[in-house]
Amino acid sequence: MGQVSGLVPSRFLTLLAHLVIVITIFWTRDDNIRASLPPSFTSDQYKKEDSELVTALSITLGLFLIELAGFFSGVSMFNNTQSLFSIALHCCAAVSLAFFVFESWECSTYWYIFTFCSVLPAFTEVIMFITVFVLKKKSF
Amino acid sequence: MELPNQVRQRLANFSRTVFIDTNRTGPEFYGNPDNEIVSSLALQISLYFNIYFFPFWWVCNIIMLHLKYPILPDYYKFILVTVVILITLIEAIRLYLGYMGNLQEKVPELAGFWLLTLLLQSPLIFFLLFNEGLTIQPLERAVNIIFTFFLTFQIVVAFLALKKMANQLAARFHLQDFDHFDREKRKTHDSRFLSQHLEEFHPTAVE
Repeated sequence: MGQVSGLVPSRFLTLLAHLVIVITIFWTRDDNIRASLPPSFTSDQYKKEDSELVTALSITLGLFLIELAGFFSGVSMFNNTQSLFSIALHCCAAVSLAFFVFESWECSTYWYIFTFCSVLPAFTEVIMFITVFVLKKKSF
Repeated sequence: MELPNQVRQRLANFSRTVFIDTNRTGPEFYGNPDNEIVSSLALQISLYFNIYFFPFWWVCNIIMLHLKYPILPDYYKFILVTVVILITLIEAIRLYLGYMGNLQEKVPELAGFWLLTLLLQSPLIFFLLFNEGLTIQPLERAVNIIFTFFLTFQIVVAFLALKKMANQLAARFHLQDFDHFDREKRKTHDSRFLSQHLEEFHPTAVE
């Protein structure tokens, strides 16, 4: 029987930290878009970069939903491997995105953070879903 | 720490009027009200994570308040400090009541939790979230949105849990009457049975 060790609240808090920064970037993306454009830019270029960043952020939120659904429904809440993996990745994401905001990184760097720290945990979460619901194996 | 008696009475009266189905005559669908657990798992999960989330919400809001204090107009300074103090105090009481009410299946505590969430916390959080005169920062928006999710989820789930709990309590109370009647009937029946057969038993025992 899986135990409620410190892993469950840690995972929740790191997930939430990553989520909070992603929501914050929705409102602070102006600096980052200006950083990825040349010193003189047209409004079309701005809109293009803007829509790209908004798409990336929205997909991140969607992947978050998958992971939170798996976490709160209990599918992967007590699986220590998935929890550790998720904690590590979301921690990296939260720190990197904090740098992203404060140092005004370019928008292209967001795609790297997105791939490693949002797609990977969502992917393992989907694997957990399949393991529990399709293969009927206990997740802990 | 218990709720004071007066508060308990009022909350119990309130629960009786709001949560019990008054269009049913009796406990038709409760199999055995003594064996069924009515603590709500979803509510307990959200309370547990709310307890972990609250210190971070508090730290974020205090830091943002500290940073924007110089540029706020005077009345907003006073309002914002009051609102943060109020939310902190109410949150501590609310989470304690929710834990006690849900785990120990106590209806007045859970009703108090539900009322505090619906009538006090929600307006305060909506004020923090939607009043643009407060120069709301993006970080504040993010943590307040998450807090609002917690509150709305708890309002819905606590209402359902309270209905179930109050109905189970009413069913138990009604079935208590039937137990009482059964016991009375058995007592009179037994005493009549014994007095009828005592004369027959007595002679055989002596011989």
